[in-house]
Amino acid sequence: MPLRMFRSYQGLILLGLCIFFVSKAVNGQLTWYINSRFVPLTIVGIAFLAIMAQTIFTEIRRSRQHELEHPEHHHEHDHVSSSSALWIMFIPLAIGFLIPARPLDSAAFTTKGFNTSAPLVSSDSSAQIFETESQERNILQWLKLFNYQDDITEFIGQEASVVGFVYFGDELEAGQFFVSRFVVSCCAADGFAIAMPVQWEKSNSLEQDAWVVVKGKIQSIDFNGIRTPMIVAESVDPTDVPAQPYLFP
Amino acid sequence: MLPVDFFSWLWDRLNVFATVFLGIFVEAVPYLLLGTFASGLVEIFVDRDGMSRWVSKRPAAAAISGAFMGMIFPVCECGVVPLTRRLFKKGLPLSAGVSFLLAAPVLNPIVILSTASAFGWGQMLLWRFVVSLIIAVVVGLVFSVQKEPDEVLLPVLSGGDHDHVHSEEGDSVREKIRKALLITVDEFFDMGRFLIIGSLLAAGLQTFIAQSTLLSIGSGPVLSVLIMLLLAVLLSICSTVDSFVALGFTGAFSFGSVLSFLVFGPMVDIKSTIMYLQVFKRRAVAYIILIPFMLSLIAGLVFNYFVK
Repeated sequence: MPLRMFRSYQGLILLGLCIFFVSKAVNGQLTWYINSRFVPLTIVGIAFLAIMAQTIFTEIRRSRQHELEHPEHHHEHDHVSSSSALWIMFIPLAIGFLIPARPLDSAAFTTKGFNTSAPLVSSDSSAQIFETESQERNILQWLKLFNYQDDITEFIGQEASVVGFVYFGDELEAGQFFVSRFVVSCCAADGFAIAMPVQWEKSNSLEQDAWVVVKGKIQSIDFNGIRTPMIVAESVDPTDVPAQPYLFP
Repeated sequence: MLPVDFFSWLWDRLNVFATVFLGIFVEAVPYLLLGTFASGLVEIFVDRDGMSRWVSKRPAAAAISGAFMGMIFPVCECGVVPLTRRLFKKGLPLSAGVSFLLAAPVLNPIVILSTASAFGWGQMLLWRFVVSLIIAVVVGLVFSVQKEPDEVLLPVLSGGDHDHVHSEEGDSVREKIRKALLITVDEFFDMGRFLIIGSLLAAGLQTFIAQSTLLSIGSGPVLSVLIMLLLAVLLSICSTVDSFVALGFTGAFSFGSVLSFLVFGPMVDIKSTIMYLQVFKRRAVAYIILIPFMLSLIAGLVFNYFVK
């Protein structure tokens, strides 16, 4: 492939990547793929891709100009680089633009599994979770409290209000479902699901993967031998997919 | 299975695959850009054989200084490969380059901070640092036996010049940066395709192999280390954040097993292996994978058996 054509494709791919990242940043879907704290890094990456695309387009213009001014040294030789570098770089663009974006949901449970307990990060202070109003705590915080507090009596009967998607597991009794979220440390590749059982008489009316707000009182149950918080629901209302579908530890 | 069920199953799998793949890709691109830009700057601003003046020729000193170069170049395992390749072209001794390649993804400020924020300033951080350093230096020393770089490196590196862009005497700084950027683009395309192939493989494995089967096999002091090593390869997560993932295993796995995950993961995973194959000959890549594998395994076992 002649060098200038190779450069043109490079420029187009860089531009395409730039557009892909910008569109994800603008519609807020970057956090469907990565932990929110890496978003600034991605923004820097976008700026860099734009500078690179600009450099390439300038280079193409220069080479065309050079050829017009000096038609006698027309020395554009065949380029050694294989075109495989180019078509492989189209793959992320194809996947990104052709497959509709969808955050991890219960479809990923079959390989990723799910947990009703959660690890404590050393920078977590339990005081922080304590000070959070009970209705502000998310699924991850409830699970951490139940995993790491010796005495949980004060939490029993507290009002909880959590957002998550519905998952019906075989482990449950009738009239129960799981309200679940994915926890992502870095990117979707390391995502793991956590879930809290919910007791609600109208569980049957819910659909798998539907996003809901569950409000009710906390109760402690024994789930697979582990002390687990369960919500005895007073209301379960449908809600939109949150701006950040994952929780970040 | 009804066809409709099958298609919805397939569609679900495809969606998980796409999300996991794009997750790895979106996460890795800024780091790859950082590494390739560093490589571009080295190409333009460091003269040929410049590295050999800075780094000692004595094998042990070269291997150790190579390992600590990670403190100056904060790159993770995606960025370190193009940068190492460039440093080799600039005359970096083989042993220093190999130990840099293995150590830099762990021994750099960003990774130390992220490990500390997951595990605290304690044992895990200390031993991750120490064991990685030892492994990197050992592999570096093994490579110092080889006096002919051509035996180990691919021809592109040892001999002919492959770049389309060359710096010349008397280029202005602006011109130099323009050239560095062009090299960055070429390197980004060159390495990016292997990052993509590696991410496709990792995402595919994650879509079809259940982690729980893997984890359920992995109890016992020996098997648990092996499973964690396998998982490190399979997950292919960036070293800057793998400690948060490792934290998720601390409940089910012993200190030694998690440590081996944290030591081996940054050195070898699916995408980095494919990228290594663009720098080294196959036999050398086998050494780069197997020696760290054996040593991480031993480290994990030592902690599982002798340290409580």
